[in-house]
Amino acid sequence: MLDVRGLTVTLPTETVGITALDGISFDVKPGEVLGIVGESGAGKSIAGAAIIDLLVPPLKRTAGAITLAGERIDHLDAQAMRKVRGRRIGYVFQDPMTSLNPVLTVGRQLIDTMRAHLDITRGMARRKAAEWLDRVGLPNPRETLARYPHELSGGMRQRVVIALALCADPVLLIADEPTTALDVSVQAHILQLLRDLHEESGISMILITHDLGVVSKMADRVAVFYAGRVAEISTVTELFEDPRHPYAEGLLQATPRPSLTGRGHVIQQIPGVMPALGKIPGGCAFHPRCSRASEACRTRVPELREEGGRSYSCFHPIGGKAQ
Amino acid sequence: MLSYVSSRVLQTVAVLLVISFIAFLLVQNLGDPLAILLPPDATLAQRDALVRALHLNQPIVARFFSFVVDMLHGNFGISYRTQEPVAKLIAERFPATAELAFVSLLITIVIGIPAGVYCGVRPRSWMARAIMFTSIAGVTLPNFVVGVVLIAVFSVRLGWLPSFGRGATVNLGFWTTGLLTRSGWESIILPAIALSTFQVTFVIRLLRTQLMEVGRSEHIRFARARGLPDRRIWYVYAIKNTLLPVITIMGLQLGNIIAFSVVTENVFAWPGLGTLFLQSIQAADIPVIAVYLIFVGAVFMVINLAVELSYPLIDPRILKRTS
Ligand SMILES: Nc1ncnc2c1ncn2[C@@H]1O[C@H](COP(=O)(O)OP(=O)(O)O)[C@@H](O)[C@H]1O
Ligand SMILES: [Mg+2]
Repeated sequence: MLDVRGLTVTLPTETVGITALDGISFDVKPGEVLGIVGESGAGKSIAGAAIIDLLVPPLKRTAGAITLAGERIDHLDAQAMRKVRGRRIGYVFQDPMTSLNPVLTVGRQLIDTMRAHLDITRGMARRKAAEWLDRVGLPNPRETLARYPHELSGGMRQRVVIALALCADPVLLIADEPTTALDVSVQAHILQLLRDLHEESGISMILITHDLGVVSKMADRVAVFYAGRVAEISTVTELFEDPRHPYAEGLLQATPRPSLTGRGHVIQQIPGVMPALGKIPGGCAFHPRCSRASEACRTRVPELREEGGRSYSCFHPIGGKAQ
Repeated sequence: MLSYVSSRVLQTVAVLLVISFIAFLLVQNLGDPLAILLPPDATLAQRDALVRALHLNQPIVARFFSFVVDMLHGNFGISYRTQEPVAKLIAERFPATAELAFVSLLITIVIGIPAGVYCGVRPRSWMARAIMFTSIAGVTLPNFVVGVVLIAVFSVRLGWLPSFGRGATVNLGFWTTGLLTRSGWESIILPAIALSTFQVTFVIRLLRTQLMEVGRSEHIRFARARGLPDRRIWYVYAIKNTLLPVITIMGLQLGNIIAFSVVTENVFAWPGLGTLFLQSIQAADIPVIAVYLIFVGAVFMVINLAVELSYPLIDPRILKRTS
């Protein structure tokens, strides 16, 4: 469905360009949910925004091929890109409190979005808007159409955001931390909603999150990001039971998982912190924090290699073949 | 809504009372009305009659009360300078100032809003840069300098437009207008331009800053991510979010135009309130000065009230915030 090859994003400064995403590659199969995980600052949001060409300036996409359903979308003109956004790829941002236009009603925002892409009358759009509010689980859809965002709770707003992202029937939904800004009690409901919508429509999905728990509940496969590179791409089961990349293993050990390990599971933090943009060390970006690091890790960047249907970029993978 | 309206109206009335009280004290403590209004050979009976007519024999609170009641009946006192009712003087001069303010506001809206929107939407274009560069002149040059330059060029050098007065006016009974004659229009152009230069540039800069700020907001980014057309994003989704500060500032500017047209009126010998005010100051004509101050205060407050009452129509969050 979506194929990303060698995606590179640069942050230009006065003297040099800092690499924010360093030639990352991954793909999403039809009907699949791909999780993208990694610590905060790993470049997950940048990757999502780069796909629909909505990077926040001065960030710039400088290389890479992005193919959606067999069609390159990385060099479209503005008008063609507009028809991809919303119509082919829906996008959900992290914070429902700031995602909605505060001075326009929910109905207005839905109707405008549908009418930007679908050839329907205002009346039809209105009916469909109410249907969408119903599908995302909002009570009294007809009245809610006339509501302003500030009259809705955070969870309700995120439901509206999801309806807005899906209302023009895209084939791919990118959700960037869709539950992070919400109350814990609401998070599970929103995840359930996303899962229901996914099952109903079979839409492909990229779910960006820093929370492995969310990934384990939602995703089929997972791409682990570290410092602007992909460390590992595996199925959820493979990743949780048999991680290859030491960073993936570290992330797992830092996550409480009572259901998988039973009582007495000790949470172990990865020593050190992820390097900030522009301070990424040479060689493997993870080597300063890695107990398996060797001289090679300090000097050469390990490539993302495929082995038995999964990929990882490590010279000394856990339980796998060394590169 | 009702409590919002009534609280704004009450605030306005309270401020007006305070202004009136200050003006009242001014009248009470500066100058000796008896010495000015009475002929030198006045009898004691004449003197007593005047004292009673001016309520000079009553305690200060009672005098303030009758001052306010008199004003509410359209009785603003008597000018020391011309011995005419102040109300009549003001009524004669008001149309000239109001028309000058109206034309200035028109220029501000017709030029300032489109230019400001353009500069906000395309801040990097050379045209926007040129507008911003020229607007520095408008912000820094005082009105009277602009006025003098306009006179030097268009009246003295080119001889196209008159440099003083209102031209021919038409008396409509309740209002004398210069806007129905050719010479009236010719006369108003230069002072209106001089008076509006600051406002125009101010509105341009304000709109530009506001639009650029809103353009960076998350809800506009989400609107882009949904593939809404650029025009809709800028002219509906973004502009609606800038209306509140822009209308506020425009309202204040209109107050400023009326209040501070003093200098411009003087440069162009415009027979309005500003000129009346200067004449009254030169003659120490306290009643006129006091009423002028109250009048300007009232204009400010009424415009301010109108602006505040329009807020809930623009931004539905206002009522929630204040209730
Ligand atoms: N517009 C920007 N300008 C400069 N730096 C940015 C910008 N956006 C993100 N970054 C930096 O890029 C890195 C990756 O950001 P991001 O993709 O948002 O991380 P995350 O994985 O938490 O979503 C971070 O270090 C962040 O500070
Ligand atoms: Mg992020």
